[in-house]
Amino acid sequence: MSQAGTSRLTLSLRAEPAERCDLSALTPGRIAGMARADIERMAIGTTNATLRLADVFTVSGEAGGEIVIAGGSTRLDFVGAGLDGGSLTVEGDVGAYAAAGMTGGTLTVRGDTGPWLGAGMKGGLVHVTGSSGAETGGMRAGDRYGMLGGSIVVEGNVGPRAGHRMRRGTIVARGQFGPTAGARMMGGTLWTEKGFAADPGLQMRRGTLIGPKVERLLPTFRDAGDHDLVILRILSRDMAARLGNLAPKPLPLKVRKISGDLAVFGKGELLLTA
Amino acid sequence: MSNAQDKAPITVNGITIDDTFAEAFGMTGTGIVITADTAKWAMQAAITMTGYGTSVIGCGAECGIDRELSPDETPDGRPGVRCLVFSFSPDLVEKQIKSRVGQCVLTSPGSACYNGLESKTKIKLAAGIRYFGDGWQTAKKLGSRRFWRVPVMDGEFVVEDAIGITTDAVGGGNMLVLGTDRRGLLETCEAAVAAIGRVPDVITPFPGGIVRSGSKVGSKYAGVIASTNDAFCPTLRGAVRSELSADTLAVLEIVIDGLSSQSVADATRAGLKAILETGPAKGVTRISAGNYGGNLGQHHYHLKELLP
Repeated sequence: MSQAGTSRLTLSLRAEPAERCDLSALTPGRIAGMARADIERMAIGTTNATLRLADVFTVSGEAGGEIVIAGGSTRLDFVGAGLDGGSLTVEGDVGAYAAAGMTGGTLTVRGDTGPWLGAGMKGGLVHVTGSSGAETGGMRAGDRYGMLGGSIVVEGNVGPRAGHRMRRGTIVARGQFGPTAGARMMGGTLWTEKGFAADPGLQMRRGTLIGPKVERLLPTFRDAGDHDLVILRILSRDMAARLGNLAPKPLPLKVRKISGDLAVFGKGELLLTA
Repeated sequence: MSNAQDKAPITVNGITIDDTFAEAFGMTGTGIVITADTAKWAMQAAITMTGYGTSVIGCGAECGIDRELSPDETPDGRPGVRCLVFSFSPDLVEKQIKSRVGQCVLTSPGSACYNGLESKTKIKLAAGIRYFGDGWQTAKKLGSRRFWRVPVMDGEFVVEDAIGITTDAVGGGNMLVLGTDRRGLLETCEAAVAAIGRVPDVITPFPGGIVRSGSKVGSKYAGVIASTNDAFCPTLRGAVRSELSADTLAVLEIVIDGLSSQSVADATRAGLKAILETGPAKGVTRISAGNYGGNLGQHHYHLKELLP
């Protein structure tokens, strides 16, 4: 965490922005010590027109450990990208790349998110009360890996290719993961309380997919039978300790394991809990 | 080993306490948590792993069981046991851990093995053991902790990647208990070991926590680095410069290793209290301690200062 403090900065959305906005500069760490006037002058536009923060938001409060964005828009991109401490709360939807590259702190989105939520993130907690788009916890163009640590909890559904090239960390979905969740996954955990859409784990090398059911399995996934795995007890307790009331229900002691993707490595696992 | 008694002893409950001190040494220590499906099998793995771990001289490490852990206290929610392992250096502790866990915990049904000491300094626990998986081992990193999963015939052996160590540990805290009845002496020492067992972060590494073959440094034989503590051997009374009065039938020693000097002091205090409470009716006549004149060990535990 690069800053501390309990002061709150509140940004109230004036109206739907005229262009997509890049809010990556708006984290407690990056605005620490800045006067409100300087914050209001921050450039957040993505076109030749120089869009300033005050053109989109009315700003109140002072820079500190907490930022609240009152009112959301799918044109608000990179919200909490690179967040390294403190908290950022959005009362509404956000666009693409929210929490991308995040290393610490908490991002709360009381709405839906666009694609690449938490792409390449390394630490911290993301909580989305709605649903998230494609490539949640996935890989940004030019990156070598997807999510590398931290936790994402989505109360709704998660879009396609969640956890693409993911290495570490956990994505919990109260709803369903979209098609090809865990594609090319190399580690980490995807955990759904509803189930997976078609073809989870496409070319996954390692990693864990947990859910009650799957719509369609790839032909390169093989039934490995029933298991009582100690690691699942550790996982359940770790989730409860780390996420508190956001944690998924503890896993049953016995699960059905499907091994895959045998086309590439075979050390990945899809664990069916029902 | 000498027992400086240049000051007057004191008497408590009819037991004489020498005005002397136990001399102990700096060690490297670590803690390991072993769990299993039942408390019985967690204990079985712990007993096996800490076996042949009485003296660092001959065994490479001094090992023992610190305490049993409830399911709430373990990473996997199963019953567990916390074991402590001590040796001269982090490298030697790591070597001992590798072979002991590999041979005694990995092999024990249903077992898992975790870090049992929070410390910034760590040594590898799973560095060699995970390769038992022959390529099928995988790791799961949760927060800052990495757990290796090694396929075995009853499922998976879960072993944490690294464990904490401390170089502030102490080995060789001790007390010598003298008496006129060997059985009563043994029962008194059992009570002392039980009391020490309730002190956290310490072990008594010898059989049942009790040593009957205290040693001195050196020997008449070349190459023998330690030999019997003749000054405390009743049968040698008269033949050597004995420390024992004519009515002393036997001497037993309790050796204490701890993760900190304070824990060894607390354990010594608990042991003395138990001896002074239990001993008078059991023929215990005197308590002393082993030292080397005070110049070799960094830690001195004066019996009088640790009386309850």
